[in-house]
Amino acid sequence: MTAITIDQFSYAYKNNQKVLDNINAVIEEGSFTAVIGPSGAGKTTLCLAIAGAVPHYYGGSLSGNVLVNGMSVRDTTMPDLAQTVGTVLQDYETQLVTMTVEEEVAFSLENIGLDRGQIATCVKEALAKVGLTGFERKEVSALSGGQRQRLVIASVLAANPKILVLDEPTSALDPEGTESIYQLLSDLNKQYSITIVVVEHETAKILPYADQFILINGGKCLQSGYPAKVLTYMWKHKIYTEAIPPLWQLKLTLEDKTGFQFADWKNEDDAASELRKLIQKEASISA
Amino acid sequence: MLELKNISFAYKAQSPVINNVSLTIATGEFLAIAGRNGSGKTTLTRLIMALKKPTSGEITLDGKTTKKSGPADMARSIGYVFQNPDRQIFHDTVIAEVAYGPEQLGYSPDKVTEMVNQALTATGLTELASAYPATLSRGQKQRLAIASALAMEPKMLILDEPTSGQDNIERNQLMKLLADLNKQGLAILLITHDMELLAAYATRVIVMDHGTNAYDGTPATLFKNTAQLKKWGLTEPTAMNISQNLEDLGIVPTTSITDLSNHLIDMMGRSTHAKSSAAY
Amino acid sequence: MQKAAPLTKLILTVFVTIWAIMLQSIPALAILIAAQLLILILSKVSAGIYKGVASLFIFAFLLGGLQYVFSNDIILSVVTALKMTAMTLVFAILLATTRMQDLSAALVTQCRVPYEYAFMLTAALRFIPDLLTESKAIQEAQACRGFSPGGNPITRLTSFMAIIKPLVLKSVSRSETMALSLELRGFGSKKNRTFGSNVALEVRDYAMLALMTAITISLILVRF
Repeated sequence: MTAITIDQFSYAYKNNQKVLDNINAVIEEGSFTAVIGPSGAGKTTLCLAIAGAVPHYYGGSLSGNVLVNGMSVRDTTMPDLAQTVGTVLQDYETQLVTMTVEEEVAFSLENIGLDRGQIATCVKEALAKVGLTGFERKEVSALSGGQRQRLVIASVLAANPKILVLDEPTSALDPEGTESIYQLLSDLNKQYSITIVVVEHETAKILPYADQFILINGGKCLQSGYPAKVLTYMWKHKIYTEAIPPLWQLKLTLEDKTGFQFADWKNEDDAASELRKLIQKEASISA
Repeated sequence: MLELKNISFAYKAQSPVINNVSLTIATGEFLAIAGRNGSGKTTLTRLIMALKKPTSGEITLDGKTTKKSGPADMARSIGYVFQNPDRQIFHDTVIAEVAYGPEQLGYSPDKVTEMVNQALTATGLTELASAYPATLSRGQKQRLAIASALAMEPKMLILDEPTSGQDNIERNQLMKLLADLNKQGLAILLITHDMELLAAYATRVIVMDHGTNAYDGTPATLFKNTAQLKKWGLTEPTAMNISQNLEDLGIVPTTSITDLSNHLIDMMGRSTHAKSSAAY
Repeated sequence: MQKAAPLTKLILTVFVTIWAIMLQSIPALAILIAAQLLILILSKVSAGIYKGVASLFIFAFLLGGLQYVFSNDIILSVVTALKMTAMTLVFAILLATTRMQDLSAALVTQCRVPYEYAFMLTAALRFIPDLLTESKAIQEAQACRGFSPGGNPITRLTSFMAIIKPLVLKSVSRSETMALSLELRGFGSKKNRTFGSNVALEVRDYAMLALMTAITISLILVRF
């Protein structure tokens, strides 16, 4: 099943500045997709289009279409889309509108008109999913950055969306916080088959988790597919090579220079064990 | 140049944010501060800048106590670039923004112009001098914040996580700028979570852990201690992780991907050579 | 007091205001104030509330003083100050013992206030600490650029303006993002909004309401 189809989608904000130019991409249900590309490439706008904020909130002009679970974002209102797509904005702090943790999660549910019993159950479930059980009565202002990010995720999860879109969810977090948020998203993806779409500058952070990359540059989708395919494309065509994770810079350099082919490394351990085997094998041959 | 003697800081006596930190920073150093969020990194730099006063201990600048100095006094010697550039931009044009600092310090108009021009040149913003700051990209705003600090001719620049939220192109440009400024004699104090960047640029690292400076030394020594790194919430650069893992096979530990790949190519080349000669 | 329904407390607020207007004697008003303070203490409110209460007293004292300067009537001045204290204190009780979510649920479902207005109240309360943090950050940024407060009033005013501008810009962009995120979370959808909090009246509330009505009626009987 396809979760999101982006079909020849172009979009310009009200000031006529064209930000997305004929984007074609498919995001499968249950996939973990990372949208990558330099600043100003149009990544955020693409996310907002999936959530329907483009065009419903921002206006502007568009052609082509974005289909979310078969619904056209052009013809579906934002509150209706919100039940399928949960969105976490880049400035997630601003997304928090209430005083306490449980109110925050209940807020989205109250908006869609659930009754009191259902709200209590959903709030409990959502907080459990992100590991914030026991924080119900805490004030939002007393939470750490990582906890706030979890709270925002819980508050969009409460409405039980099939798709979760997050715009740079870890830019304010430390390495441990970053890893735990991506681990959380990966768990949600695997356990509850929630389709995850993440905008991330640092491909190195997302490499262990994503199964698809979409490369955006200058409003165009240059490549999409398996991370290996997109990273190799960037390397071969010298496009935005700064963003290729160090791990893959090593792999691709070695492949170019030695003629060996390596597996699609997801982390340092993959690399070390394959290199170890290779060095030992080579050593035994030469001995 | 700057000396912290037994500095402590606490909002509540039971839980100090900074606990008895002593260190000196020399002229022209490139120093990085790493550690978990909440470990006291930002508080430490705020104490240096006199935005907060230590509960106990003393900070001296060029041998003189800073007990009675406020941030405006410290600004003559130390430039501070906040994490969020939007908070430190007040004026309608880039040039007015950069001129604000020297004007506050009471320099003559001619001198101000000279200082501003130098700062704009150093940061590559000369062509944007009359631009409206709000229309700049995030990377350019960051440069503007640096230019504004440079215009006051400081001896040291403190930057709080300047690369967060920037892409790798902007990040590389910023680091190149900082390296250039450092070469010209400016001390750089950089708060960062980015270990690749820290390994590539810093000559000294301070790791903050629960309000104390748990480590103070070179990046190379820091990354050798894998167990401690985890305790402090830090990760190793990719090259260091792999090279240490393969150390028993004769790979020399390194933080540089280029060094590691050259070494590996060399090894594989040698063995492929040995293999082909063995075939004869 | 935390256990009472928010509606009961809202009604209490109205009643106390009526009592404060009706009562004219200093001892009666003093008893009313003492009773309210007792409620606050019994509700074990946080220390911050008492600071607020203290400032209410100071404000009332100043008001009484002002009244005395103009009217030269010491009794009238004291009565005014006490009335003022009695009326404002009840709001302190209301806000200190009621969670915002319960209050807005009560306002919307029981008092028929449109939800948008009730939300505005909570959002504004959420906004204030953020604005304070933001203005402090801007002041610090200025200090790091060599600005030190002081000098003549004109330079102080211009420097104050320098804080206002980034603050307003930031607030505007913040409220825009907030509007967007509200829409993304289904705010303003056509469906009937519900509330997660239980604000229904219980036996305790009816008893309190009966007591309040009784006090009011007896006050009216005594007065007329």
